[in-house]
Amino acid sequence: MNMDSTTALAADAQLIRAIQSGDERALSQLYRLHWPMVSHFVLQNSGTEDDARDVYQEGVMVFYEKVREGSLELSCQIKTYLYAVCRRLWLKRLTTKSRLHGVRLLDDDDYGPYLNTGAEDDLHEAEERDRRFATMSEALTHLGEPCRSLLEGFYLLDKSMQDLTAEHGYTNADTAKTQKYKCLTRLKKLFFASYKEV
Amino acid sequence: MQTEADYYALFEAYQRGELAAGARADLEARLSTDPRLHQRYAEFEELTGTLRAYGERRRTRQMLGGLHEAMLAADEAPAAEEKQADGLSYSVNPRLSISRTERRLREFWNGHRATMGVAASVAVLAVFCTLLGLDLWRATTAAPASSLRELRGEVARITRRTDALTRKVNNVAGTTDAVAPVRVNKYSGTGFALTADGYLVTSAHVIKGADSLLVESRDHRRYHAETVYTDRKHDLAILRIKDRNFKPFNRLPYTFKAGQADLGERVYTLGYPREDAVYGEGALSARSGYDGDTAFYQVSIPLNPGNSGGPLLDGQGNLIGVVSSRQDDVLGAAFATKSSYLVHLVDSLKNKQPLQPYHLPRTNQLAGAARPQQLKRLQDFVFVVKVYE
Repeated sequence: MNMDSTTALAADAQLIRAIQSGDERALSQLYRLHWPMVSHFVLQNSGTEDDARDVYQEGVMVFYEKVREGSLELSCQIKTYLYAVCRRLWLKRLTTKSRLHGVRLLDDDDYGPYLNTGAEDDLHEAEERDRRFATMSEALTHLGEPCRSLLEGFYLLDKSMQDLTAEHGYTNADTAKTQKYKCLTRLKKLFFASYKEV
Repeated sequence: MQTEADYYALFEAYQRGELAAGARADLEARLSTDPRLHQRYAEFEELTGTLRAYGERRRTRQMLGGLHEAMLAADEAPAAEEKQADGLSYSVNPRLSISRTERRLREFWNGHRATMGVAASVAVLAVFCTLLGLDLWRATTAAPASSLRELRGEVARITRRTDALTRKVNNVAGTTDAVAPVRVNKYSGTGFALTADGYLVTSAHVIKGADSLLVESRDHRRYHAETVYTDRKHDLAILRIKDRNFKPFNRLPYTFKAGQADLGERVYTLGYPREDAVYGEGALSARSGYDGDTAFYQVSIPLNPGNSGGPLLDGQGNLIGVVSSRQDDVLGAAFATKSSYLVHLVDSLKNKQPLQPYHLPRTNQLAGAARPQQLKRLQDFVFVVKVYE
């Protein structure tokens, strides 16, 4: 391994530590750094600027969530990992979009061996999570008001019980809490019903 | 009996560590012994965990969207500060700066180049198919029109080819004497005497495009000739020999028939489709020519290029026509201009004060003679007309 990649790996590790600790500037740094690579790749393979944006956002999301969980096991540079993830994502989109089997991608050789990066497994995991979130979002939609905004307020937006009590016009926090639990049981039925059957 | 909601209150308090030590130990004991309660707790955890993670995901997505916007905004203003994260030595990658129009074009090209390639090849193919089809169509429709062949011999092409061969042979043999290129006549046809004092008749197409004419008699005497009158419509031309040393002919043996000849009449002609005079015999098979043209007869004489302009005579030695053309796609159909048109033409020219007056022959010396005798008389008045361009 030459000096360049050693220093690059060291810098990557530093960046990952910064992101894990919640440094938004480090994430922004990373985001800007690898955007040209992915946008170039997608544009070369008959995508538009918007496609590139979507794919890159997804890819960075996978990376970021893994980093935040602390479960990222990186065996290569971040660059290569991101390239592998985005490549996979774009390939999937192309095949569904064009209904053509055997889409061939033009690869940049600069980004090294994009196979065996562990990106495949991470992507499967992310897909599973996406499915769960999609089910949840649907369940929330079917739940109806005021349960939806109550639960969203509490769990998704991290509002306090006092705020929610005032917002929804409950007499006191206890009533709101009881209501919240009732909503939760209904959500549970909706969520598990559709999640299990998929 | 506790309701589901009550359990949830309990679980939440347990998760937050708000339960008193006794109640907590109690719950933990029940969780480890009661599988149904355990499953209920697991579901609760999954549900709330998913909810929280979902919220987290939405925040992340928003943040990344923001990052993208910020990045694009920073790119818009290239002078923007190149911020660096603490202690990190990355710099923002250099970006290829291309104009917006060019970027659009590149995107378009990248997105549609395959389609455009296919479209272009289809277009090229279509153009070639159309051209080819048109050509084919034109060839098939033009064919009947070209089946009418005018019978002037294209001597030059053959002669030139022979010349080239001769020259090649000479070169191979190593002979150094340079052969001066002989001027070769391009076309040849047949002509015959109209009057004893040097007027001749031939077909108009024989002398078409000529800049000099040479008339050669059977005994190889040559005279320069000039065109006096041309009638393209009836394919007639009148020439006059202009050589000083020209001696007028003897009296012409044939007369010109002013009326129409009859159908089925035996007719014959004498012409020069090759170097020697060739006799051709047949019958008058129709009193109109190609495409119903009444200025022509149809005759069943086998004719060749070079026969054009030859005289057409009936059994009595009356000149009834001038050989003009043949139809290629019909067997044995040749055409000759009716002599009545020739007589008309001469009459109209008489009024125009010619250099020498026209004296058409009045007595027929051929009538009653046998065919070989007729031909012997006739052949002195039939000439090769050579055309130079």
